[in-house]
Amino acid sequence: MSAAFETLAAVNGNIGTIGYGIGVIGAGIGVGYIFGNGVQAIARQPEAAGLIRQNMLLGAALVEALALIGFVTPFIFS
Amino acid sequence: MMIQLAADGPQSPLLPVWPEIVIGLICIGVVYLAFHKKLLPAINKALDERREAIEGGMEKAEAVQAEARQTLEEYRAQLDDARRDASRLRQEAQEQGATLIAEMREEGQRQREEIIAAGHAQISAERQQAAEALRQDVGKIAIDLAGRLVGESLEDHARQSRTIDRFLDDLEEKAEAGR
Amino acid sequence: MNSDQTLAFETDCHLFQDCGYPAPSLWSFQFEPIFSIGGFEFNKPALLAILGSLLVVGFFWAAFGKAKVVPGKLQMVAEVLYDFVRTGIGRAVIGKQAESFVPLLVTLFFTVWMFNLWAVVPVAQLPASSIIAYPIALALVVWVTYMTVTFKTNGFVGGIRNLCVPGGLPKPIYVIVTPIELLSNVFLRPFTLAVRLFANMFAGHVLILVFLIGAWYMLGTVVGTFFAFGSLFMTLVITVFELFIQALQAYVFTILTATYISGALEEPH
Repeated sequence: MSAAFETLAAVNGNIGTIGYGIGVIGAGIGVGYIFGNGVQAIARQPEAAGLIRQNMLLGAALVEALALIGFVTPFIFS
Repeated sequence: MMIQLAADGPQSPLLPVWPEIVIGLICIGVVYLAFHKKLLPAINKALDERREAIEGGMEKAEAVQAEARQTLEEYRAQLDDARRDASRLRQEAQEQGATLIAEMREEGQRQREEIIAAGHAQISAERQQAAEALRQDVGKIAIDLAGRLVGESLEDHARQSRTIDRFLDDLEEKAEAGR
Repeated sequence: MNSDQTLAFETDCHLFQDCGYPAPSLWSFQFEPIFSIGGFEFNKPALLAILGSLLVVGFFWAAFGKAKVVPGKLQMVAEVLYDFVRTGIGRAVIGKQAESFVPLLVTLFFTVWMFNLWAVVPVAQLPASSIIAYPIALALVVWVTYMTVTFKTNGFVGGIRNLCVPGGLPKPIYVIVTPIELLSNVFLRPFTLAVRLFANMFAGHVLILVFLIGAWYMLGTVVGTFFAFGSLFMTLVITVFELFIQALQAYVFTILTATYISGALEEPH
């Protein structure tokens, strides 16, 4: 009886999955901001589109790196 | 049927195997050498040549256009010259013609006057001559008539006038015979 | 290497057979050696890396080997790609001094792209850059290049200044900023450069595997087959997305390299 109560809320799988899910929130917000503002900037100044797109991708790559570090961290500690 | 069960477990994907890094470096080195030594110089040369060809073509076209423009200007200048020459020649010709006409007219006037003068002189000379000859003839004829009148005895008037008439007829005959 | 050996999952398992979904694991990135020299096992990614670099050289050799003033079709395509790297990345980021770094940028762009592109080539179907050694090799080249350029243009002290001390900040802040800058410029840059490329390709490969193994797993029963085709369709969608990501990662890798080099070329403040 007591053993059944103990396992009432058991979750199978790797806790790293949840960690990655949480970690990616920030990167998701960041990438969203970057591309949203990038598109806005291009819309306001279409003649600077090349430069804006380049910097936009650069920023997205930097932010994305964080999410990807989160992605590989479980492998480092496994 | 897992295949790689021989290993104890999968290797961590973040741990590189150093010979693979060497292989990667060799790959990059090969590609870099190929690009650096052979391929990019070749294509840069081709691109430069193309740009030169394009620019050269444009320069040539510009040169041709400039030449055409110059030729056109020359042609226009020549045309202007020709036109000016023509008008000048026409004017000269007109002037010459006018002077010629004036000269001719003067000449004609002069000649006419000369002819008139010569005519006048001749006429006056002839008149003088005629007057001279007439005077002599009249004197002679008058003497002749007087002699005849004296010789015929101037009796009656009829005879007298007959004699004069006959004399005048003679004169006319003489004049006709003398002509 | 027959095709059976490359499958790192339970091929006999299907839906409703009580064996569970054989999710892609790290086994998908382990390969039987084709041959081994001493302790080193020459495996499929190494073969793909070598083949990839040879393909890049071969393609551009065919296009630029006898570069003509009036280009053929192949040369036209290659010229567009080359011009994209030269003016779109080199000139745009580095500026006037770009010309001497263009070979490096071109090499990096096309090598990375080719390594990534192996993910969608039939039979190969594995991005060489999803094995960490190759991104590390690439990042190492970039690191050596921009460190050399830093010390060459600024001298030793100037080079250290360039790496540690960003200009135009109030003085007390330098106490915090200098170690961060040093860490970021010397250690984090190559690390993120390598890990970004690796993780993107790794994740992409896993993503494709998830749907592809799913399609195979659900095959068998009528209902399962219906879903299997859905999963297969998703595989195609993800593959197209991966095509985009591959080119983007090559672009990002190259543009970051160009940014680092232009930072190294900066005169001391």
